[in-house]
Amino acid sequence: MNEDAAQNPGPVTHILSSLIERSGALTALLVSKEGMVITEAGDTSYLNTTAMAALVAGMFSATREVARIVGEKHFSILLQQGESRHIHISLIHDSKMMVLIFEDHQRIGLVRYEARRAGEELNSILMPTLKPSEAEQISTPQFKEYALNLIDRIFQAK
Amino acid sequence: MPHINYESKELAFKMVYYGPGLSGKTTNLVYIHKALEAGRRGDIITLDTEEERTLFFDFFPLDLGRIGGYNIRLHMYTVPGQVYYEASRRLILDGADGIVFVADSQQDRLNENVNSFRMLQENLGDYGVNWKEFPLVLQYNKRDLADILPLGTLEGQLGLNGIPVLEAVAIAGTGVMETIRVASREVIERFQM
Ligand SMILES: Nc1nc2c(ncn2[C@@H]2O[C@H](COP(=O)(O)OP(=O)(O)OP(=O)(O)O)[C@@H](O)[C@H]2O)c(=O)[nH]1
Ligand SMILES: [Mg+2]
Repeated sequence: MNEDAAQNPGPVTHILSSLIERSGALTALLVSKEGMVITEAGDTSYLNTTAMAALVAGMFSATREVARIVGEKHFSILLQQGESRHIHISLIHDSKMMVLIFEDHQRIGLVRYEARRAGEELNSILMPTLKPSEAEQISTPQFKEYALNLIDRIFQAK
Repeated sequence: MPHINYESKELAFKMVYYGPGLSGKTTNLVYIHKALEAGRRGDIITLDTEEERTLFFDFFPLDLGRIGGYNIRLHMYTVPGQVYYEASRRLILDGADGIVFVADSQQDRLNENVNSFRMLQENLGDYGVNWKEFPLVLQYNKRDLADILPLGTLEGQLGLNGIPVLEAVAIAGTGVMETIRVASREVIERFQM
């Protein structure tokens, strides 16, 4: 595994951008299973990506339970077909989802192929590790004090 | 552990409102959403039945502000309280950083509160979390009604020592902001990367 790549998120964006280029998809998102956007590429102007991420994660976790009930570990791909837009979601590393939004349904074969390829690339560089030096900066007493002040200010009783 | 995105410089904590059916979880969330300045909150998503019972979850993102170059956010969720939706509830709890247990103060809801809390303990256990060391606050909601449980009832029955306890009338907003204030303070004070 390439440790640098895991710590520097650049390559993830690169993989998603070239996935967009090769598949002709509109938008690509990488979403954590907790429902956070990790990386996005392509056109996101028409999309509330935060809401999208929360919903996709919910969908995927529900699907995983359904898989378990029928005796599968998980379903690795989810495909949603609409009138003019379609969504291809694939599971990465058992803990992330790669979401591709595309318009030309004729291209489903290409989308599938490119998504698998990008998924393999992501699998090889993404590691669920933190960047320790930055992580330490965040749980400092000073950080906490600032955060507590913000909380007290924002949640004043009305 | 909160979720950190080094690329977009975001740090997000997942707050989950848990409790028995009809205890007022969605009412809490909707009130907070309305009370915040528009710039602090994203759209609210509610996945509910035609009768407005939560089916999967309610959600909205809340911006606390920037610290040290990071955008600090709370991701606010409710679970569906109805017993029937146990599987969904467990899914939403995955990765939670803090929990507000919204109890229904009505005396005839005692058993539902106790059972719901036991389920919470079990759900957290499934994720390897010891609830005794977890940021958790207890809200006694519906204090406006007659025949309500005295404070201390649930703590006694459930062996909850020393967790923050708040009273609320969520439909009127009373105690709602104070509850999230105390709950998010608990989360911040206890988290470690
Ligand atoms: N009297 C009174 N009613 C309340 C209070 N808070 C909520 N309610 C009412 O209780 C009912 C249920 O509230 P919800 O917020 O939908 O409850 P919930 O916990 O989200 O319910 P589920 O989604 O089914 O788990 C609604 O009719 C609310 O108006 C309160 O403080 N006092
Ligand atoms: Mg609800």
